[in-house]
Amino acid sequence: MQTNGNSWQTALSRLKTWARVNSPWLVHFNSGSCNGCDIEILATLTPRYDLERFGVKLKGSPRHADVLVCTGPVTRQARDRLVRIYQQMHEPKFVVAVGSCALSGGAFRGCYNVMGGIDQVIPVNAYVPGCPPRPEAIIDGVVKLLGSLMPPKSAAAEAEHAHA
Amino acid sequence: MHTLERALAIAQELAEGWTFKTETSRPEPNRLDIALASPADLVPFVVGLRVQRLGYLAAITGLDLGPEKGELELLYHFCPGPAVITLRVRLPREGAQVDSLTAIIPSAEASERELAEMFGVRIEGLRAPEHLYLPDDWPDRTYPLRKDFESVGQA
Amino acid sequence: MVTREPLETFSVPIGPQHPALKEPGHFLISVDGEIVTDAVVRLGYAHRGIEKAAEGRNWVQNLYLVERICGICSHIHAMAYSLAVERLAGVEVPPRAQTIRVLVAELERIHSHLLWLGVAAHEAGFDTLFMYSWRDRETIMDALEGFTGNRVNYSANLLGGVKCDVGAEQRTAILKALDYLEPRTHHYMDVVTSDAMYLQRTRGIGVMTRSQAELMGAVGPTARASGVPRDVRVEAPYAAYGSYPLSMVLDNRGDLEARFVVRLNELFECYRLVREILDTLPPGELQAKMPRRVPEGETISRVEAPRGELFYFIKSNGTDKPERLKVRTPTVFNLMSVVKLVIGHQLADVPMILAGIDPCFSCNDRAILVQPSRGSASLWTWEQLRRHGIEVYHGRRP
Repeated sequence: MQTNGNSWQTALSRLKTWARVNSPWLVHFNSGSCNGCDIEILATLTPRYDLERFGVKLKGSPRHADVLVCTGPVTRQARDRLVRIYQQMHEPKFVVAVGSCALSGGAFRGCYNVMGGIDQVIPVNAYVPGCPPRPEAIIDGVVKLLGSLMPPKSAAAEAEHAHA
Repeated sequence: MHTLERALAIAQELAEGWTFKTETSRPEPNRLDIALASPADLVPFVVGLRVQRLGYLAAITGLDLGPEKGELELLYHFCPGPAVITLRVRLPREGAQVDSLTAIIPSAEASERELAEMFGVRIEGLRAPEHLYLPDDWPDRTYPLRKDFESVGQA
Repeated sequence: MVTREPLETFSVPIGPQHPALKEPGHFLISVDGEIVTDAVVRLGYAHRGIEKAAEGRNWVQNLYLVERICGICSHIHAMAYSLAVERLAGVEVPPRAQTIRVLVAELERIHSHLLWLGVAAHEAGFDTLFMYSWRDRETIMDALEGFTGNRVNYSANLLGGVKCDVGAEQRTAILKALDYLEPRTHHYMDVVTSDAMYLQRTRGIGVMTRSQAELMGAVGPTARASGVPRDVRVEAPYAAYGSYPLSMVLDNRGDLEARFVVRLNELFECYRLVREILDTLPPGELQAKMPRRVPEGETISRVEAPRGELFYFIKSNGTDKPERLKVRTPTVFNLMSVVKLVIGHQLADVPMILAGIDPCFSCNDRAILVQPSRGSASLWTWEQLRRHGIEVYHGRRP
């Protein structure tokens, strides 16, 4: 997607402006993962990666969240919780599946207690592969998703404003 | 704390002097296996181990010897220091039942609950017999670690 | 917090409410007013059916499976598994490989203890300490990535040895990380032993005597903080630990503060061990040849994970797949001790007592439900329970 440094920088700066204005809230859910992905998600909040500088906040409650970030292969026990959390979110809502397990069940595909990935239970908008994916990859996935949500008209207006 | 040799020797003596038949073997240099004749021997033997300060229960392993053989085998692993002393108890697959160790070893609770739900062993005297790992909606009489368990599939 | 009607239940749903406690699990806690009267643990949210899956996969595939039992202590699982399979196969692993395994295990212990420090600090409301410890932890993750290729899931083990070597550059990077971390660790020790607000939540709280710890089968730093001299690396050395003896870190107080002090002191012992290993790494091969089929037999592997003893039982039926793989993780028994410990304590102490055992829920998998003796149920989240603890203690200035 990134063709050259300049277009990436522009896209990023437009996104930052949009995100600061719209302040998207993320909520995180572990559907039975080994925690590898969850720790890397948590690492995105720490100073080195600092997801919040993009204007994105990680919140506790699904009721106010825009984006659900999910890990794990979805165990049977976690399935109902996952559905409930998704239902509690208001529209528009989006789901990011993080890690091989969330994509397809990963190493646990075919195990008796495992549904085999987030999209077996709820719709998914973005997939971040890896076992686990690095914090940069997770941020990239979230940012790409948010970027795709930006209305083109206001984005152009903001870009003009930024360059003025 | 006993040395390896001392711990194994004490356990060996206990097994040889036991009122009921036992069979001992040394599968690895740090291990002593003691096969008990009957599940009823389990709790009294464990008390014997505790009295000799050999009583740290590290794990309980269930084995399904298969539908043809019709037996389960339970392995209770005690680890005083570097030694591993394993009590082996055979149970029939149908109506498998054994007494709980929790009155003597409270921490056995988790291991016993796991054994019960995975192998279908009835543990007499377990205070919280509900599922530990398996989901609430897991089908009855379906024991995942038995050899004849087929996957429940993606529901 | 006195409750009459209705029955109060705190339910800890999974993850989202609590950025630092992202792991699922379930306790049922009964309270009389603010005091806990009973507790039962209910796991299952991260139960994936690994033991069954292992019976259908070959010995090599299972190495990659067990690495993923836990993202925090992935290497120690793989190590326990490899040691067991190698023993069954009668394979002698070269000393350089065994030593590199120990090196990675100790680096993993460092990252794990720092991770726990941050999580426990977050439980107590010390988010600054959480941020600092996780930032510092990045240095170890960089060092590990430098020679294994990954920040998490290092995948250093192969059946028969290791796949990555430690060259001069990697050695320098690791030493640099330790030079940075050591003074930081002294600082953390200062904070946890002298900060008045912190001590309110830890000193004299959650006391487990030595005999209680032994009775409850506690393991790892949780047990050592109660004076129980239990450490598999010392009692039953495996891999290269025989060549790198270490001191057991013990404390006699048995309270939450002791659990902090023990883990921080263990970090110093890790730094010392890693330095010694890097100085004296034996030359030689990294891997011995492994047969595809493993001879019939049963074996037991016991290793010391960051949280305590990890126990593997493996039975081979002579084929290329295991007959049985049994994994008993340390948190199971430490959880049992929490279940007993919280009784008689305030509800406000529950988050810290749980954090104090460094629970690894994917190693076991978990949540919390509180039920008062009188009245009907209302739902709390873990975050509410955590905040409750902070509010109760914040109201009581030292």
